[in-house]
Amino acid sequence: MADNGMDRRDFMKSTAAGFGGFFFLSSNEIKPEETTKKPLKEQKIIYRTLGKTGIKLPAINMGVMNSSNPNLVRAALNSGMVLLDTATTYQRGTNEAMIGEVIKERPRDSYVIATKAHPPENRSTGLYTKEATEEDYQKKIDASLKNLGLDYIDIYHHHGASVRESVLYEPVMKALEKAKKAGKIRFIGISTHKNEPEVIQAAVDSKFYDVILTTYNFKQKHQVEIRETIAKAAAAGMGVIVMKAMGGVQLQERAEKPVEPVPALKWVLQDSNVHTIIAGFTTFDQMNLDLSVMENPTLTQSEKAHLQWAAFQTGLYCQGCGQCLMQCPEELPIPDLMRAYMYVYGYRNLSHSQDLLLSLNLPPRVCGDCAECPVKCSIGFNVSRKIQDVIRLRDVPAEFIA
Amino acid sequence: MKKFRAVQKACFLFFSFLLIGWMLGNGASLWASGGEGGAYSFPEMAGWKQSGEIQIYSRTNLYDYINGGADLYLKYDFQELKVAEYENDRKASVTIEVYRHETPVHAFGIYSQERLGNANYLEVGAQGYSEKGVLNFLAADCYVKMSSVDVGPEEREVLLAFAKKVVENLGGKGSLPSILSSFPREGEKKNSEKFIAREFLGYAFFHSAFTADYELSGKKFKLFLIEGTDQKDCRNMVQEYLKHTENLQNKVEEGRYQLKDPYHGGMDFYWKGNYIWGALDLDDETLRSMVLKLFAEGLENKKINNDNRNKPSLPQAAGY
Ligand code: SF4
Ligand code: SF4
Repeated sequence: MADNGMDRRDFMKSTAAGFGGFFFLSSNEIKPEETTKKPLKEQKIIYRTLGKTGIKLPAINMGVMNSSNPNLVRAALNSGMVLLDTATTYQRGTNEAMIGEVIKERPRDSYVIATKAHPPENRSTGLYTKEATEEDYQKKIDASLKNLGLDYIDIYHHHGASVRESVLYEPVMKALEKAKKAGKIRFIGISTHKNEPEVIQAAVDSKFYDVILTTYNFKQKHQVEIRETIAKAAAAGMGVIVMKAMGGVQLQERAEKPVEPVPALKWVLQDSNVHTIIAGFTTFDQMNLDLSVMENPTLTQSEKAHLQWAAFQTGLYCQGCGQCLMQCPEELPIPDLMRAYMYVYGYRNLSHSQDLLLSLNLPPRVCGDCAECPVKCSIGFNVSRKIQDVIRLRDVPAEFIA
Repeated sequence: MKKFRAVQKACFLFFSFLLIGWMLGNGASLWASGGEGGAYSFPEMAGWKQSGEIQIYSRTNLYDYINGGADLYLKYDFQELKVAEYENDRKASVTIEVYRHETPVHAFGIYSQERLGNANYLEVGAQGYSEKGVLNFLAADCYVKMSSVDVGPEEREVLLAFAKKVVENLGGKGSLPSILSSFPREGEKKNSEKFIAREFLGYAFFHSAFTADYELSGKKFKLFLIEGTDQKDCRNMVQEYLKHTENLQNKVEEGRYQLKDPYHGGMDFYWKGNYIWGALDLDDETLRSMVLKLFAEGLENKKINNDNRNKPSLPQAAGY
């Protein structure tokens, strides 16, 4: 189910995706785009069609979740963005209400609203609880309509499904189907940010959902699997919307240097099965930068290099270049120690990390005799600090981390 | 000797737990943590027992609990979430979520983003409100969200009783940010005050700000207050703002600024010392001058800059 664990084969696979197999399309693989120049700001807009829904959307739209600034939403719409994405839970419905205030000034066909609700869930299994009834879900849809001040919502996502059983959970499907029949929603979507390939595959198999909204970015260790299932969804006529193209706030915060948004967005758009991205900008400058991606969505060499660097940095991947090996007077197996570190902090797999540490025949005092570490890692890891962080795991009784 | 070994072993195991918690939480301990809410434990309640383990989330995995909503909490310097569930004999349940933030102001900030002006407000913690099956409140550096299922007609009383015990365990109710009292009272919409933690107005150079909604003489508008670290900090913000709005000036001095913002329209604000205060969405200049003058009086009267006695005094109301 969840992707917490990772065996050696998975590790090799993800490493390949992260380095050599890093997904970049060549220029002749990139499909020509339908574009227009908006007269107002001369902003070039690339349009893609959201699968069988037939809705034409700019390649970059707004995920409103982090903003309570109505003028930012107005500016997004004025700049040519069309889709506004929110959720009933974002700021307890006040995010929807704020959007409602903005859109009431505009013609109904000038914007597309997507919102979502997550049924009550057992967080350890990902299965829904007895409180996840059809009636409860209908109430959530009605609450969104009220907050937004709309007669109908364009896309309503069954939010945050993480296992196949939840995707196919009948009470939620019935509530969505009835709402669609009643004209309260035009299209049914499903959103996922965990175990995405299983969720997307189940959504494709169900033939029930019109749209998927998924996390998809250059840093994910299972990006290849996501890419493959997205392709299946698009082939089945589903609309594909991407969120967290930069990995989300917590990943950004853990980065030693911020990831540049433009290459991250371009990386997603090079996949023609992706129809649009909802970008969670919170400033006007970020908005303009995100929009600028549509001027030329092809990744330049330097942007590719930045993404590779950022994947190594923020993904906690050691490149295995071996440059450090000759520099350590203690001849520590530094790349292996970096891998142990990655298992803990990247994949939260302590037992894997401990197994690796115990297999390395390390001296009792690791790094203890060096006043200063002379090792210069090729991608800037503070090697000795990471070693000192992870080495403590060696002494923890195995029964506590199994 | 045996006893000593047992103690030694217990200590070792305890520290092992701490270590694993620290590693998985990327610095946030699962068992004890710093800050006011760190040693927090959930209360006992007659007729109810805790069901399941207490769940704990840190900055790195809050996303697992509240999905996309987590990003905003992180922007409000969220530190740790503890969740407890209670059940009674009739299988009714109460869930208590305690979100601890870096400071009481940040806890107020996220609370203020989620409260509705017309909610049913209660005296619990610094402030709270209830809705059907829900009771949320602010206490010290924590934002507490409670919900119930199948509790029946006494639901509100049950949640309130739980809330009071939670406040006791948090070691005090705290208060709303004192700076809010400097906002003019005339026309202020009750419970509309907000704290925006970052990027106020959608500009990265403005850090945090307090805002409140107003309705006066048939006009709806917003007032805001930015508290800089010092005069220089405010000068930098004003300078950047003027540059961004193409209102470049040779000398940036304390005083009143009236300009056109491409995204927000007419902007009218004052800068003095480490404060910038202004009005948004108010096209009536007389009214603007009046409310900004009241604001200056409020700042002066409340002596909110008491702790900055050596800095330039706030402007006198006369002359506005
Ligand atoms: S501090 Fe550690 S990694 Fe650095 S040189 Fe010494 S033993 Fe090697
Ligand atoms: S130099 Fe850095 S990237 Fe290269 S093997 Fe050593 S730790 Fe890994």
